[in-house]
Amino acid sequence: MIEIRDLAARNLRVPSITLPPGLTAVIGLNGAGKTTLLEVCCGLLLPDAGTVLVDGLAPRETDAGWVSASSDRSLLFSRVADELASSGRFARLPPQAVDRCVLHAARLTGAAGLLDRSTRTLSGGEQSVVALAAGLAGAPTVLALDEFDGHLDRETLAGLIPVVRNSGARYVLWSTHDPAIAAGADHAIVLEGGVVAAEGGAALSLFDAWEGGAA
Amino acid sequence: MSSVRLDRVALERGSFRLEADCSFGPGVHVVTGRIGSGKSTLALAIAGELEPVSGAVRMERVSRPLLVLQSPDHHLTGATVGAEIASWGADPALLDRIGLASRSGRDPFRLSRGEQKRLVLGCALATDADLLVLDEPFASLDVPARVGLARALAGRGGVTIVMTHADRYLPAGAARWRIAGGRVVGA
Repeated sequence: MIEIRDLAARNLRVPSITLPPGLTAVIGLNGAGKTTLLEVCCGLLLPDAGTVLVDGLAPRETDAGWVSASSDRSLLFSRVADELASSGRFARLPPQAVDRCVLHAARLTGAAGLLDRSTRTLSGGEQSVVALAAGLAGAPTVLALDEFDGHLDRETLAGLIPVVRNSGARYVLWSTHDPAIAAGADHAIVLEGGVVAAEGGAALSLFDAWEGGAA
Repeated sequence: MSSVRLDRVALERGSFRLEADCSFGPGVHVVTGRIGSGKSTLALAIAGELEPVSGAVRMERVSRPLLVLQSPDHHLTGATVGAEIASWGADPALLDRIGLASRSGRDPFRLSRGEQKRLVLGCALATDADLLVLDEPFASLDVPARVGLARALAGRGGVTIVMTHADRYLPAGAARWRIAGGRVVGA
């Protein structure tokens, strides 16, 4: 379980919430705190107060994969193959093991044809796919996909959902504005103005309310 | 009436090649295509930011073309949200309409990605550009903002060209195009 207690981070305030293993959809309007929640669960952001534990460990003691909502900001290296190799190299795996991880992640995600490309020349969607591949190459316990689907066409997304599902990541946190992704998740939480406003099935009816409210 | 014509245009970036022979008249045009199919390349060319290797992009009665890039941070220059709005010459009341009334004094780079998109799109729409090209404008917007953007685009004068893979909340009555096999075709 991911257990969050008495959390304060940026505008986010979470007295207590427990996220089960599986795919959790994180839903909310722009500025609600979705990215902040994902960041504290991955250890990218330390809370101002409170605790986050992933199976009893601090997020920074847990392997995490991160796909940013700004697809160009997920990438650190100038060549796609180096980007995918980065987690293995930082973990000081032997070169052959790094190569195996890179090829495996690239094939899974359909990024094999991009390995020799410069990350600068990728389209926004391709950058997101490469970020997913790089995240999966590190075999993370927590995989955070921050509005990952927003950069992808329908067909590419449909191909990648099973990849995410079968990735072996024990926890997938996926923030999204797509009702279909939320409906397909194991669990959903709704953030409103930095607080958890709803959990579970109640989350999905929100999309209809938002569409109706805007129209 | 404003229009832009791509006259037997060929675009190349590295080994990538895209061909287009088509016209975009007044109203909203939605161009779809798989990731990496060339939507952003086409957007650059239509806005006059990428020179074709052959053919020509001809704008008619276009005095203010504007390209809105996929990453909102490429457009941000103001030290605060309020200053950003002022730098576009937009009415300060825009803050309220884009849901950022409480963020006027904030550094735009400390907004969430979706809030940055609202800010840049709101400012871009306030310019009344007679040719507006938008690259993935719906990405990162929440559902009410997507519905609002689609309505604002449908209500605009001039030529509006939207590169997107979104298939919900698109502007009513938009002409549809797609990029397939390295060519721009009517959908």
